[in-house]
Amino acid sequence: MKEAVFTFFSLFTLLTAAGVILSRNIIYSAFNLVLCFFGLASLYLLWGATFLSMIQILIYAGAIVVLFVFVVMLLNFEKPTEQKTRFSIIVLSSAGVWTLALILLRVLSKSLGEIPSLETPAKASVRTISKLLFSQYLWPFEVLTVFLLALIVGIFVLARPEKEETP
Amino acid sequence: MILAEKLTSMAYWSHFVSIALFALGLLGFLTRRNALIVLMSLELMLNAVNLLLVQISMRTGTSEGIVLVVFVITVAAAEVAVGLGIILNLYRMKKTVDLGSFRNLSG
Amino acid sequence: MTLIDFIIAALKAIVILVAVIQVVPVMIYVERKVAALIQDRPGPNRVGPFGLLQPVADALKFLLKEDPIPHYTNRLLYTLAPFLSLIPACLVIAALPIADKAVLFGREITIQIADLDVSLIYVLAIGSLGVYGILFGGWASNNKFSLIGSLRSASQMVSYELPLGLAAVGAVMVFGTFSLREMVIQQEGTLLGILPNWGVFYQPIGFLIFLVASFAETNRLPFDLPESEAELVAGFHTEYGSMKFATFFMAEYMNLATMSGLMTVIYFGGWHLPWVSDAKLLEILGSQNLLCIIQVATYIFKVSVFMFLYVLIRWTLPRFRFDQLLTLSWGSLIPIGLINIVVSAVLMYVLGGK
Repeated sequence: MKEAVFTFFSLFTLLTAAGVILSRNIIYSAFNLVLCFFGLASLYLLWGATFLSMIQILIYAGAIVVLFVFVVMLLNFEKPTEQKTRFSIIVLSSAGVWTLALILLRVLSKSLGEIPSLETPAKASVRTISKLLFSQYLWPFEVLTVFLLALIVGIFVLARPEKEETP
Repeated sequence: MILAEKLTSMAYWSHFVSIALFALGLLGFLTRRNALIVLMSLELMLNAVNLLLVQISMRTGTSEGIVLVVFVITVAAAEVAVGLGIILNLYRMKKTVDLGSFRNLSG
Repeated sequence: MTLIDFIIAALKAIVILVAVIQVVPVMIYVERKVAALIQDRPGPNRVGPFGLLQPVADALKFLLKEDPIPHYTNRLLYTLAPFLSLIPACLVIAALPIADKAVLFGREITIQIADLDVSLIYVLAIGSLGVYGILFGGWASNNKFSLIGSLRSASQMVSYELPLGLAAVGAVMVFGTFSLREMVIQQEGTLLGILPNWGVFYQPIGFLIFLVASFAETNRLPFDLPESEAELVAGFHTEYGSMKFATFFMAEYMNLATMSGLMTVIYFGGWHLPWVSDAKLLEILGSQNLLCIIQVATYIFKVSVFMFLYVLIRWTLPRFRFDQLLTLSWGSLIPIGLINIVVSAVLMYVLGGK
């Protein structure tokens, strides 16, 4: 039963991901991206990582795609702004990508092996994550905060309006 | 074929999902010309990696994979913000975000 | 998950959802009547005794009016946008604990649709999805004023999610859990003998931040510049006619109910009566079901107090200007929230435990 639900949600995720890259309208792509993130969050839930799925919805679907939609609305695209890509590029990149995919599949199944069944949930409660985060991964955590600070300053500089010359 | 067997058995299906997601993201990244959709495909690739990290965490039975996913999500959010700032500036320069029209650096 | 569990869960979901939807007509009437009383005029008094059937008249109007769809719009997005606003508003209700167990037919049923162990993050996450309805509504209206209104409203909602989250983090530190049900269970009894053991006495500043941020999250005055009548026609829902407009308003009132519910659950004890503990009540009453009914009534009373507060403040305070609004969030509420977290952490360390 759980496996059927898992298969359903994973197919949903893949379909909406295909919708992201295939849509002609950017807003449809953004909406498909939100649905894809929802599908991923439900996959995390089925695996027992409840905290992670909520964080996924909170940050990805609730903040990042909102930023995307903001930019789309601010930039006000009127006509379809994209020329169609050359067919040769599509064919070549597809061939390359699927070859890579097959190679990765082989590598993963050899190295990672089988995934335990869905009945055993992952050890992913908030307590275990926070214990690791504040003991073993404390240094990356602090570096990340400084990184985010640098980022905020950088975005502030990037998005400043152009200075007009005072006569 | 062994591959088909592997694809349909439950144990390897999640590998396939994350690889397919990565492949779709990569395809969109290489093919589309609109900068926003390229950024979205980048997000798809990062999410595929997150999925794989959660599978690793399930395999080894610890939460280290999930801690790594938290880091990846944070950095991805940050990078999207910067990327959108850059796109805004590109739009200010050229009034378009079609990647084919930014040829200042090409020979 | 046997079949009977599934049926009970589905029934709980339907009953609680329908009960919360009933908030909408009640709020329509209460808002207009209280507005009238504050403004020293009679208010709706034509339809039924004391105007009590006014919501019925409003509902009929919405159903029977023409439903316009403007010309050069994206029809799919235009029709989808109100529901994108309504669906998160309905989904959040699933995580709010209304009462403790009831015993029916030999089974213990918890009066909460979904008892997640991370329900606080669930509420914040689904609450942050309400932005999409506003964004797509303004975009699909093909109207510059709607677009501006929706961008303003979306940026306001996104800016005020941060103080909401910070205040919630303070509460999580005090209670030690993300689960809303656990938070309510821990708020039993008395604190220092005189005060009820509620969250607001542990986190007063957090409660104030949460209160202010919840006003902004639901686009309520004094933060309702995006839908102000005098400035932007009607903001993002200018082009929306009867039923779609009604859907936006249902979503807004249900968001109000959810925010009030959240505040009572985190800061005001949820279903507990002020100084009495549940065990003593169970002794007095004898039956678990009677206790459950009293708990539900307490919860509804507390939520009603907050919703009345929302209506009162709406008709009392003037509106914020948009830059004042954003300065308040980023310049005041977020620093105060951060200081609140640090001070709470220090106090918890010094006092050792709760």
